[in-house]
Amino acid sequence: MNKLSSLLFAVLMMASLQSFGQKKVEIRFEVDGICGMCETRIEKALLETPGVWAAEWDKASHEVFVVYKPKKVSEMDLHRAVAAVGHDTKKVKAKSEIYHALNDCCKYKDEDVVKNHK
Amino acid sequence: MKNPLAGIILAPLKLMKPAVLLVCASYSAMGQADSNLYQSVDLKDIEVRGEAAATFISAKSATFVNTISKKELKKAACCNLSESFETNPSIDVSFTDAVTGTKQIMLFGLAGKYAHIQTELTPLVRGLLSNSGLSFIPGAWIESIQLTKGIGSALNGHESITGQINVELLKPDEMANDAIGPDAEGRGDILLNSYVNQGGRMEGNIAMGTNLNDQWSFGMLGHLSGRDIANDRNQDGFMDMPLGNQANVMLRAKYWGTNGLEGLFTLHGLTDEKRGGQGGSLFDSSPISQPWSNAINQDRLAFTAKTGWVSPNHNDLSIGVINHWYSQGLNGHFGSDADLLNKRTFNHTQQGGLTQVLVRAEVLEGQLYQTSGMVFNIDAYDMNQGRNGQGEYSGSWTETNLGAYSEWTYTPLESFTAVGGLRLDQHSIAGLQWSPRMHLRYAPTKLQTIRLSAGRGFRMALPMVESLGRLASNRNLTYAAYGNLMGGDMTTFESAWNAGVSYVYNFTYDYMPGSIAADAHWTVFDHAIVHDYWMPGQHMVYQESTYNGSPAKQSNSLGVTLNYKLNKSTDMRLAYRNQITEAKYWNNPSGETMAQLPFVAKHRGMASLSKAIKGGWELDATAQFYGPQSLPFGGWGGSTAFGSEQSPAFTLLSGQVRKAWKGGDIYLGIENALDVRQPNPITAATDLAGNVMAADHADFTSSFDAIRIYGPIFGRNLYMGLNLIF
Repeated sequence: MNKLSSLLFAVLMMASLQSFGQKKVEIRFEVDGICGMCETRIEKALLETPGVWAAEWDKASHEVFVVYKPKKVSEMDLHRAVAAVGHDTKKVKAKSEIYHALNDCCKYKDEDVVKNHK
Repeated sequence: MKNPLAGIILAPLKLMKPAVLLVCASYSAMGQADSNLYQSVDLKDIEVRGEAAATFISAKSATFVNTISKKELKKAACCNLSESFETNPSIDVSFTDAVTGTKQIMLFGLAGKYAHIQTELTPLVRGLLSNSGLSFIPGAWIESIQLTKGIGSALNGHESITGQINVELLKPDEMANDAIGPDAEGRGDILLNSYVNQGGRMEGNIAMGTNLNDQWSFGMLGHLSGRDIANDRNQDGFMDMPLGNQANVMLRAKYWGTNGLEGLFTLHGLTDEKRGGQGGSLFDSSPISQPWSNAINQDRLAFTAKTGWVSPNHNDLSIGVINHWYSQGLNGHFGSDADLLNKRTFNHTQQGGLTQVLVRAEVLEGQLYQTSGMVFNIDAYDMNQGRNGQGEYSGSWTETNLGAYSEWTYTPLESFTAVGGLRLDQHSIAGLQWSPRMHLRYAPTKLQTIRLSAGRGFRMALPMVESLGRLASNRNLTYAAYGNLMGGDMTTFESAWNAGVSYVYNFTYDYMPGSIAADAHWTVFDHAIVHDYWMPGQHMVYQESTYNGSPAKQSNSLGVTLNYKLNKSTDMRLAYRNQITEAKYWNNPSGETMAQLPFVAKHRGMASLSKAIKGGWELDATAQFYGPQSLPFGGWGGSTAFGSEQSPAFTLLSGQVRKAWKGGDIYLGIENALDVRQPNPITAATDLAGNVMAADHADFTSSFDAIRIYGPIFGRNLYMGLNLIF
């Protein structure tokens, strides 16, 4: 029975480790946003994109750091992914209806909201 | 360093923030836990942000504190505090006997009674509740658990020896305020939980909080559970788990004034009954007439008032006052009317409480602060144990203790913290006792932390209550020290020193965070209560002490844990622990020398994987390895075999699938998937032909013994549960 459980674990581990080998690329680009909630939304959108290994958005610099596998996803896909949830990048702008649907405290284009976060 | 008064005094900062930020902050926390994705590391600073992780060790704390969050608790199958540690590599969860179904925890291979277990810094698993108090804290009520390995803080009591476990329950204001949207941390105005398992256990929990006005909030925590279905998978005539039910309610009010005053008032009531033993007519159409049975009834009524004051002018000056009063009872029996000579009854009551004052003040700005105070404890016990229809042992006494303590925390550098504490206790039985405590933390780099701790603790044991389930045996019970078996004098005094060293290294590999934590702890008892089962048919209880350079009891424990995020959605934990626990036994085949404690595995291993899948799915799998345990020989039919044997090693595998959505989650799981079961857990339950024996059968009378337990009895257990948040 011990053997069976070790085997089960080995299978689970292999399934998790299979993607280790593939080549990964680092990239940084600007994504507009304002608060911790934006951070969560931006990172979640990127991480849910297949091929993205890691993503971290910095509230102070508005810069996102992404590690991805170029075989699976392109740089433009990353820009599209964040724009799709309402956040502008230099290359892709969010649709205005998506932006306006954001929670009030995330309206990064609104000067009053920006001031409130300082 | 965590504010030691955090349980009483919460940072008033939260209220000052603009509303808009509060919303953002709350949503942020929710999103992180919701997505369970890659929230633990800041890539640029390579700084581990552990807040959202399931368990984390605070890098700043001088003590080796492992915080277990709601998220980690959800991985445990069921249901209460004792089971909350089933995914924790530091703590062993085990059964003490095959009848009562009471789960106990062990830290460093030593019984949970040597760890100071508290709820919000007030005692619960203590006195009459020391045996089964863990089952009176429903998992659904728990906000988080702080597990401190090694000697505890001087502030919280003299009883912490191997560690300190503090359980924070859901607070009324937090349940109400954080419920902007229900979140995966399980906060909401009203939280409902229901659970059912294959063994027939059902439970329902409710937690709710509401703001009455700007100052007051009110909360209720409720729990109902029970089992009406008797199981006997191994067909030994004994129920694999007892039947019973529990009702448990906590009413809480929280006051938060604008003048720096705050208070938390809690009324706690519970009643619990368990009935185990031979199923008799439950299993058999022609049952034995007077089955061997066991009943345990417990009740408790307690009131806690915690008030705190933070100086509006000096944020670094605060005063906390804790008042905690309780009345609890424990009664029942073990045995059959067919064999009154071996039938034991017990009926105990305890009334007591404590009043504690803590004052925290900064001495040197940002570098040195101290917390000092006093505590008065009182416990009035009335204990009665009967046998053969008459009194066997009884005791009625009142214990008081006046303690004074002071703890100084010195942080000259970001990388170094020293905490020195001393407490003096004037105990009505133990006299004047001193308990020095010391904790050092040094972080040579941002990623590494080294900690040292050392200190002393003492406690008054209640040997019969703490080992209640071990009465499920026809062993001849003898107390060898001419004292009172029930407690209340110096023959049940226990004291020990504990020292520990730990090292934590946080790393990032392949962009993913991980940590390695290693710790070694030594516990040496000057005085200890020893339960000696080595002689067949005997259960001897005595107090051992240190002499001839050999301690009464000791534990050496070494543990290593690796946590690593394999990818954005998969967490892994591997752990190994080696624990050598020994006591000086009279009935040792080689004389009165140190021998391994029975029912403790020297080698323990754990591996767990947790994977989040898009759409709110989460998968968890845990394997627990138990190495061989030392067991007293199972003497049968008058056998006089003397000494010990080794149990086989075994592995328990458990798994769970959870689907979460905004309004709650549903989970389905399996415990002990490989269906590991201890064969013949109860000596002399059946005769050699496999027929159930009556309690007055000569072989049963001489050999019945349900305490030789090293592994599961029931086996595989499927369960499902539902959490709803309104």
